[in-house]
This record gives sequence, C-alpha cells and structure tokens, in this order.
Amino acid sequence: MNLIAAAIAVGLAALGAGIGNGLIVGRTVEGIARQPELRPVLQTTMFIGVALVEALPIIGVVISFIVMNR
Amino acid sequence: MEKFQQMFLRQQKYIFYLLSLYTLGWGFTEYKTLFLSLILGTVVSLFMLWSLVRKIEKFGRAVAHGKKVRSIGTFSRLAAAALAAAIAIQYPQYFSIVPVVLGLMTSYIVIIIDFLLQKFQKNGYHV
Repeated sequence: MNLIAAAIAVGLAALGAGIGNGLIVGRTVEGIARQPELRPVLQTTMFIGVALVEALPIIGVVISFIVMNR
Repeated sequence: MEKFQQMFLRQQKYIFYLLSLYTLGWGFTEYKTLFLSLILGTVVSLFMLWSLVRKIEKFGRAVAHGKKVRSIGTFSRLAAAALAAAIAIQYPQYFSIVPVVLGLMTSYIVIIIDFLLQKFQKNGYHV
C-alpha cells in the first residue's frame, strides 16, 4: 500500500511539474522568438517561474520517499 | 556581465553565507544532527540552483539562435532531491528528514527573497 501511495505522489508531482514547466517554457520560447533582445528579462522571469513551480514537486518526491520507507 | 549571471552569483553568495553559518552551528553547538541535515539539504539545493541556471542559460541561447533544446533538467533536480531524502532515511543516526527538506527549499526561498529585494530596490525603496 505504501508503494502505491509513493508512486501516486511522485506521479502527480511529476505531472504538475511537467504541466507547469511546459506552460512557462512555451511562453518564453514565444517571447524570445518574437523579441530576441528581451532575452535577459524573459530568462529571469522564466527562472523565477520554474523555481516556483518546482518547489512543490520536490517536497512531493521527498514525502513519497518517507512514505515508502515507513 | 549579464544580469542573469549577476543574479546567480548573488544568490550563490547568500547560500554560501548560510552554509558557513550551518557549519559553525555544526562545529560549536550540541545540535549536530540538525545542522548536518541542513548542510546536506543546502548543498543539494545549491546543486539544483546551479543546474537550473545552467539549463536556462543554455535554453535561452539555443532559442535565440533557433536551435532545439532537449530538456531543462527538471527530472535530474527531482532525482537530486530524492537522493538527499534517501541519504537522510538511510542514515538516521546522522541525519533527520525535516531539516533536510528545509535545506532543500533554501535555494527557492533565496530566489524569492532576492527577487523581492531587487524589485523593491528598482521601485525606489531601500531595504
């Protein structure tokens, strides 16, 4: 049962990270392709966005490890 | 130097300050498990920050030149976090899991605080 719980936790965490990162990266590519001179600004915005999106999946992965080893 | 690289250097500096404080705490206080766990989490977090900056820099350069990018390294960062958790679970006599998670979140907290500080300074507030 713990294994299933851990698998669901990791899977949903990865799904969330994937969707969030996909949205951010897609918009950044669009922006840079349209205005290459705005690359530093868009990169910084993307950096902060990716960091915010990835924080929760990382906690999810750690929690799944804790659950798996219980 | 580019603004993006400057931001990374600033954040790296803050994390090194924190790491030095944790090392002092590990060396001179009784809470050895707590500080060792914080050090483990923060070192992995520093690796994640470095990986994020490197991948985004590569990504931006590739997009600007019309090339393709394979990934931005999300799964390697998740694997690094899993490694830190696995080490903490494997050696409970040295590490505790909650400070490891706090350490792992350090770089993200540093990024957000640094972003807010820069925003306030740009708008004319001096913190």
